Amino acid sequence: MKKTLIVLIMLLSVLSLSASDKGIVTVYMPSPAGLANKLAADFEAKTGIEVRTFQGTTGEILARLETEKANPVADVVILASWSDGLSMKNSGQLESYVPANADKMVPGWIDSDSTLFGYSASAVGVIYNTLIYPELSADWQELADSQYRNDIAIPDPELSGACKDFVAGYVNAFGWDTFEALADNGMIVPGANKAALEAVTTGEVGILIAGVDYNAYSSMADGEPLAIYYPASGTVVNPRPAMIMKTAPDMDNAKAFIDYLLSEDAQKMVTDAYLLPGRTDIEYSNRSTLAEIPQIECDWDAMMAISSDSAARINELCER
Amino acid sequence: MNGKKTIAFLLITALVFLIICPLLSIFAEAVFQNGRFSLSSAIATITENENAKMIGSSLLLGILVVIVSSAIALPLAYIFSRTSLARYHFFDIIFMIPFMTPPYIASMGWILFMQKRGLMQQLFPDLAFISDWFFSLAGLVLVMSFHVFPFMMTMMKNAMLSVPSSLDEAGAVLGAPFRVRIRKLFMPLLTGNYAIGALLVFVKTISEYGTPSTLGRRIGFSVFTTDIHRYATVAPIEFGKSASLASVLVGICLMIWLLQNYITMRRTYSLVGGKGSAVRYRKLSRPALVAAIAFIAIVVFFSMLIPLFSVTISSLIKLRGYGMRSGNYTTANYIKVFTEDTQGINALLVSIFLAVSSATIAAMLGTIVVTISRNCGKKMKKTIEGIALLPEMLPSIVLVLGIMLFYNSIYKAIPIYGTIWIMVLSYVVLFLPYTVQYVTSSYSQISPSLVAAGRISGGSPSYVFLHITLPLISRGIMSGWMMTFIIAFRELVTPSLIAPTNTLTVSTYINRQFEQGSVGKGMAMAVICILFSTVSLLILNKAILREKR
Repeated sequence: MKKTLIVLIMLLSVLSLSASDKGIVTVYMPSPAGLANKLAADFEAKTGIEVRTFQGTTGEILARLETEKANPVADVVILASWSDGLSMKNSGQLESYVPANADKMVPGWIDSDSTLFGYSASAVGVIYNTLIYPELSADWQELADSQYRNDIAIPDPELSGACKDFVAGYVNAFGWDTFEALADNGMIVPGANKAALEAVTTGEVGILIAGVDYNAYSSMADGEPLAIYYPASGTVVNPRPAMIMKTAPDMDNAKAFIDYLLSEDAQKMVTDAYLLPGRTDIEYSNRSTLAEIPQIECDWDAMMAISSDSAARINELCER
Repeated sequence: MNGKKTIAFLLITALVFLIICPLLSIFAEAVFQNGRFSLSSAIATITENENAKMIGSSLLLGILVVIVSSAIALPLAYIFSRTSLARYHFFDIIFMIPFMTPPYIASMGWILFMQKRGLMQQLFPDLAFISDWFFSLAGLVLVMSFHVFPFMMTMMKNAMLSVPSSLDEAGAVLGAPFRVRIRKLFMPLLTGNYAIGALLVFVKTISEYGTPSTLGRRIGFSVFTTDIHRYATVAPIEFGKSASLASVLVGICLMIWLLQNYITMRRTYSLVGGKGSAVRYRKLSRPALVAAIAFIAIVVFFSMLIPLFSVTISSLIKLRGYGMRSGNYTTANYIKVFTEDTQGINALLVSIFLAVSSATIAAMLGTIVVTISRNCGKKMKKTIEGIALLPEMLPSIVLVLGIMLFYNSIYKAIPIYGTIWIMVLSYVVLFLPYTVQYVTSSYSQISPSLVAAGRISGGSPSYVFLHITLPLISRGIMSGWMMTFIIAFRELVTPSLIAPTNTLTVSTYINRQFEQGSVGKGMAMAVICILFSTVSLLILNKAILREKR
């Protein structure tokens, strides 16, 4: 009995997160988990501030914020969707702050009120299984061709922020025809980004549209039989906004964390995770550069207005 | 006497706070709009086209699973109660396996096995047509039946064992052939038991979250549990809708329990009397024996080998794009679980902590509940037992939702929402009935004269309890502890609804890796989870047996 008690107490002390003297900062961030953990560990080492993270998809993070409205916990929130970030700003949830190195950022990746900081970005592309399609370069609407019937997947835009913004951007620019044709062609929605990538990796489908690129690059580096391209008519490059909550219980630490995200070390980690860096002066060679990606003209305010409904529409269209 | 009443009253208050208040907050959430009572939105939710359809498909799923699991369980129950194969008791343990494998892990195994270009198609490319058929309601029913059938099998086996062979022989002597005896003799005697078993399977099916949340989501099949979960966790959050659906589910479950109670009183026959009631095993003819063994083999193959094979192989594959291919196997996934980041090891520690602490608290609380309820008036006893056993009758997702709403609303007074302690509390509430049942049954085996003897010999009540009663019920307490420990270790519903930030358990870790991370790592953790449960079951079993000696 005594032994069990000792074991219990030991377990408890492992679990009870004793806050350090420098305080804590609570950060909600989306995948990739590896990057989130590295950033947290490095920030802790540099500042002595303990980082508590909640990792989830954009949908899960938004849900969590909603449940905690009465008792706010989060200091910094990072999303994978710029339009969701804008709608948080519009509902007055965000604190304005001018971080260090703001001048070095990609133009437009910080909003006019200085509340959204696009410290990194991803783009969505067409990811295909090279064991099934040795070569592929079809444009979005060409993928609705019957030769790809029942062999196409899309990440769930209600879970994946990057996919959500792409759908909004594409629909805003070109209308619904392509997605309706793709859905008629048997397109499936296997789940969030990673689940969708898994489907194309195992060959459950041959082609994944609107798949986030950093996941694909990372799997390709592992040796999976995958390839990615950005269709000629363009895609959406999606800055991933880091934001400070107005209700942040640890405001100073939250600001320090934003400064850290734009530091050279953090930006290097961003590129190591195959994401696009938020600063223009960071070099990388492990993926397509920002300049190489054909882009759709983005009207973010118009996209924000339609993004949630469009995401729901995709799921409706693809329901069997 | 008055003191006892006070204690019993305090206990009831505590139980009401722990179990009834969360339930009431669900009903409150469903029917109060901005502080005003109104049934309209609850009714609107239920009659909403989509939700009405969901309610229909939940009930359909329940009925289909009852039918299919009966088809699996009834022949097995007969084989293992009345034929020569009943001698092999190791089958009892083998058929525990599907029940011990967490349903979400089993359905992940099935998905990996059946999906297009998945394991089955890699092994037998010609069977590809089965995949389309599997990813439909049929597959969902099959997987859920394979999980739940041992439950009905055990019940029916015990019922059949209590039908004495003399009745069967009397029938035979009077010239009734085998088929007639089954129809006219066995079936009427067992309908009561079967009805109870079928209702329990039905309740278990519509309360189940693991399989619908993995396989059901794949095929776009929503049921009560998944919709309650979705409304409570995915933006836009609508607790009102979630609570309305939960209320309906509670209503259905309670109705079924009442029905079951009614059947138990009306349609069960007392077959165990003073007369000799030996069951003689039927010697099977050769073809019948072959058929029986083939049936057992098929059930074992589908309910155990396929999911376990699929999970294990998937945990060992290096590059998922190349599948099962020589040179593409690795143990790296197991190493990565522990070394790539701290999430894996933390998830294990959290789950062990939750299992140990909730099992210990539930064992203590359960023992107190039973001890007090035996020493107070009949009415109070009924109340206490009724409340304490309530969590077993209700779907765990409903209780967890209630706990979530209740502790969110009293956060100012008791700030445990969002901490690990609300999980401990939720586990204790969910698993309290295990201890209560085990301890009650060991109490019933103690003769009152033992306690009386102790008192007459001068022992104070506490001395008698510590030195006579407690040692005698310790096996019951241990069994309850063990059961709670194993079930709590892999619990999915609670952590997926109310785990605090930063906290993953084994179950949410597996889920997350399966859906958003590396399937290999997820399945490696699944194998670890199954091994851990099995080994701890064996160790604890041994420890209890030794204590008994």
